[in-house]
Amino acid sequence: MPDLIIDGRPVRVPKGTPVIAAAESLGIVIPRFCWHPALGAAGACRMCAVMFLDGPVKGLEMSCMVPAADGMVVETFHPEAVTFRRRVVELLMANHPHDCPVCDEGGHCLLQDETISGGHALRRFPGRKRTYLDQDLGPFIQHEMNRCIHCYRCARFYQEYCGYLDFGPMQNANRVYFGRFASGPLESPFSGNLADICPTGTLTDKPGRYKSRRWDCQRAPSVCPHCSLGCATVALSRYREVVRVEARENPAVNGHFICDRGRYSFGYAASAERPRQARADGVPTSMSTALALAGTRLGGVVEAFGPEAVAVVGSARSSLETQTALTALARAGGWRGPAFFADRTEQQAVAAALAALAGGRARSLAEIGQADAVLCLGVSPLHDAPMLALSLRQAARAGAVVAVADPRPATLPLPFTHLPLAPDKLPGAAALLTGAEAADAAAIQRALPLSPELWPALERLAPAFAAAGNPVLVFAPALAAQAPADARFGLFPVLCGPNAAGAALVADADAPACDDLARAIEAGEVKGLVLAEADAAALSPRLAAALPGLETLVVLDHLPTPSFAAAKVFLPTQTLFESGGTLCNNEARLQYAAPVAPPGEPVSRDGRGGHPPRDYARKLPGTDPLPAAALCAVLALEMGLDMPALSFAAFTGVGPEDVAPEGTRATRLPAAPTAPAPPSAPPGQGLVVVRDDALFATDAYGRYAPLARAQAPAASVVRLHPDDAAGLGLADGEALTVTVGDRRIEATLAVSAAVARGAAVVPRLPGWAGLPAAIGPETLRRRQP
Amino acid sequence: MEEKKDKTGLLREVLDGAAGLAGSYAATLTHLFRRPVTEQYPEYKRPMPARTRGRIILTRSPDGKERCVACYLCSGACPVNCISMQSEEGPDGRRRAAWFRINFARCIYCGLCEEACPTLALQLTPEFAFCKDAIEDFVYEKEDLLVDHGGKDPDYDFYAHAGVAAGRPKGEHIGEDEPVDVKSILP
Ligand code: SF4
Ligand code: SF4
Ligand code: FES
Repeated sequence: MPDLIIDGRPVRVPKGTPVIAAAESLGIVIPRFCWHPALGAAGACRMCAVMFLDGPVKGLEMSCMVPAADGMVVETFHPEAVTFRRRVVELLMANHPHDCPVCDEGGHCLLQDETISGGHALRRFPGRKRTYLDQDLGPFIQHEMNRCIHCYRCARFYQEYCGYLDFGPMQNANRVYFGRFASGPLESPFSGNLADICPTGTLTDKPGRYKSRRWDCQRAPSVCPHCSLGCATVALSRYREVVRVEARENPAVNGHFICDRGRYSFGYAASAERPRQARADGVPTSMSTALALAGTRLGGVVEAFGPEAVAVVGSARSSLETQTALTALARAGGWRGPAFFADRTEQQAVAAALAALAGGRARSLAEIGQADAVLCLGVSPLHDAPMLALSLRQAARAGAVVAVADPRPATLPLPFTHLPLAPDKLPGAAALLTGAEAADAAAIQRALPLSPELWPALERLAPAFAAAGNPVLVFAPALAAQAPADARFGLFPVLCGPNAAGAALVADADAPACDDLARAIEAGEVKGLVLAEADAAALSPRLAAALPGLETLVVLDHLPTPSFAAAKVFLPTQTLFESGGTLCNNEARLQYAAPVAPPGEPVSRDGRGGHPPRDYARKLPGTDPLPAAALCAVLALEMGLDMPALSFAAFTGVGPEDVAPEGTRATRLPAAPTAPAPPSAPPGQGLVVVRDDALFATDAYGRYAPLARAQAPAASVVRLHPDDAAGLGLADGEALTVTVGDRRIEATLAVSAAVARGAAVVPRLPGWAGLPAAIGPETLRRRQP
Repeated sequence: MEEKKDKTGLLREVLDGAAGLAGSYAATLTHLFRRPVTEQYPEYKRPMPARTRGRIILTRSPDGKERCVACYLCSGACPVNCISMQSEEGPDGRRRAAWFRINFARCIYCGLCEEACPTLALQLTPEFAFCKDAIEDFVYEKEDLLVDHGGKDPDYDFYAHAGVAAGRPKGEHIGEDEPVDVKSILP
């Protein structure tokens, strides 16, 4: 722990800390361009020069390149250092174009800040400016190479930190260029971070291009609702529209970055299709009329059939506040539910996954980056939880062994071993690698007799996992029973929604699941249903099919789902950007997303592209939506129910006031329920259906975000192992017709050895939800031209 | 003693008063024969210096294109928040205002916006008196603000100096080198 003195103030920092970071811990911000806490030093920009007066290093040095050492005396405002930095800025500006007014970085540009703080204002250099031609880098990043100051942040992030190679530096000397070999979309699913880390306007956010200045935006810390990791974000809203989502630093979760799904899927909130007005029997009406009608209709059902005839369904995408309010509403009325999961098995699996975290075995994303062996069991990192892939990459860079046992094809920007195994084979593979079973060659062959191609890999992996000091098991809830008893293994479940953990904590252990409610509707026992921020079609096809059997269906939502279309009474709710809310992520960490801006039709649509309407004192359009929790309370009031005051502290052990900025782990985890039975082979012949997410537009919100939807692949793809495809007489690239219930879906076939034998990988989209557990030739058919 | 002093004081006051009266009558008399300095506003409107801070306009560059790039600097500088706009990319790739609104009922004509404007688009003109019957009529939209000349600085063209390809190709702006050939193998 070196002790040093910076600007006359003593500080003690951990060994290896660069002086620039040591100064920052004192609140002294030394100018910098190339140094970034996550990327380290490059010594490329020479902006962070400070004077070392005493100690092992003396003279003018770069504070990012010198590790803090005992006895150092550093002066950041030494006249020599100040002059040096002024000259550096002047040099960097020598080639900088006269672009600030038309540059989107203006207002949050590090180069602007340092130029002004360095005191450079007038150009003395008489020479000509160097120029570059720009490239089209795809839909997310705008390229304007003239503005580059050659700090190498982008290249270090893209290639070293993320492991993608299609973007980087080229040429030499005064001609260094940062781009791709040829124009084309960036391949990395983390490319959006380039806009955040580039200290100039060279790489800026394309979807937000020419939309706003930072100082005009309402900003608030938010939490990403597009997968279960809950990365920290900042949402920027202007003129009643979220214009941008950026990464926010949370050292325990996402570090400094977020994935492109999290960054570019915000469009659902301002989408033109978003229902913003209450409806009664499909006809737009006022909120109060709709609420009164919902109260009367549900009251009528209760009167005629008893309180048990009303059921409540919530979802894993609602905040804890909403989930708690639904529970309170159901309790007040004596209604069934709330149901949050498709079936009991799923609910028990999530509860079991959370129960396994007890005893300090939960790991955070940051801790995965420090693990020395990681097994992903039934999890495809890039698709199920994109930022997990970035943590795995950091672990792999430090030498960790990474294995992904999953039936779906997996690509990761790091060296890893993929074990494509059908779900029923995963427990066996897990037992071999987590040491639950001896893993000699014979045992491996016995466990996986039909996959000889995987034996060598397993023989190599098993000793590495056995020797690891800090291994982590990343697992899907269905495989919670495979969590090893060996306490060496940290655990990291990946769940099925941003607040799936919250739903599992809030749900009663004996609460009905959607399938149970569907059965009750079919049997005529349930006549009234409240769907709160839940889409029956996506949750449970059986429930969706049963909806017409209801007397009344009340839907609370902000997404234009099929359930919204089927609603008898519809009540618009606010999004996370508007109401704020607490989400519980996959490691049971509660995080609060603050409200960014109140709801309302964006000014851009209100003014039909032109200037906003000029009328005085009018009610702003689209401001009806209320937080779902508030709607529950008003509905209870309408019906004369006495809603108990319930806080989510009752379910999580952590109250709203205890949620720390970096999140707080729930202290009440489910008591170890019976772990779900391991997945079994489907009876008879048939391929097990495995659902796969895509980076964009497969999560509940992304499906309704225009920009994310535009990135989704045009055609649905079904993936099979070559043996299975041959067995069905189908070839790679063939056009298929897939029968789902009474509908047919058109898809293309992709054949790859990276798919597990015996598995059919289909997209996780509501349209595909009705497939049976196993399918065969009668479902997958060649499309007749 | 006392009385004598009083007497001389009284005499001086009388003389002073008479002189004052005579002086002002003289001034009035001389003014009667001078040219009047008063101007009959509004019959006569005095030509104001070009830098007078009056009604705001949005000017055009020498090629006749809109100068305003909707950079939000004027609205950021405005101390009374009377400027609002929305930027967008025009069909020619230039950044421009989709709409631009100044509420003159709120404007204090301080000229900070003009000082902030980096493209010399926004200029204050000498027109200082424009009355309206209704206060909403003071809200000027882009079409009301846009003029077809360059105002006080007719020659400046921001896009000739900026580095962006909208307007001119890379390397052809003032003071620029040819674009770097990234695939050249020459030293
Ligand atoms: S593009 Fe941006 S991040 Fe990359 S070197 Fe240039 S200034 Fe640095
Ligand atoms: S990894 Fe998940 S939580 Fe994080 S930014 Fe991406 S979608 Fe959002
Ligand atoms: S920040 Fe130290 S040299 Fe760039």
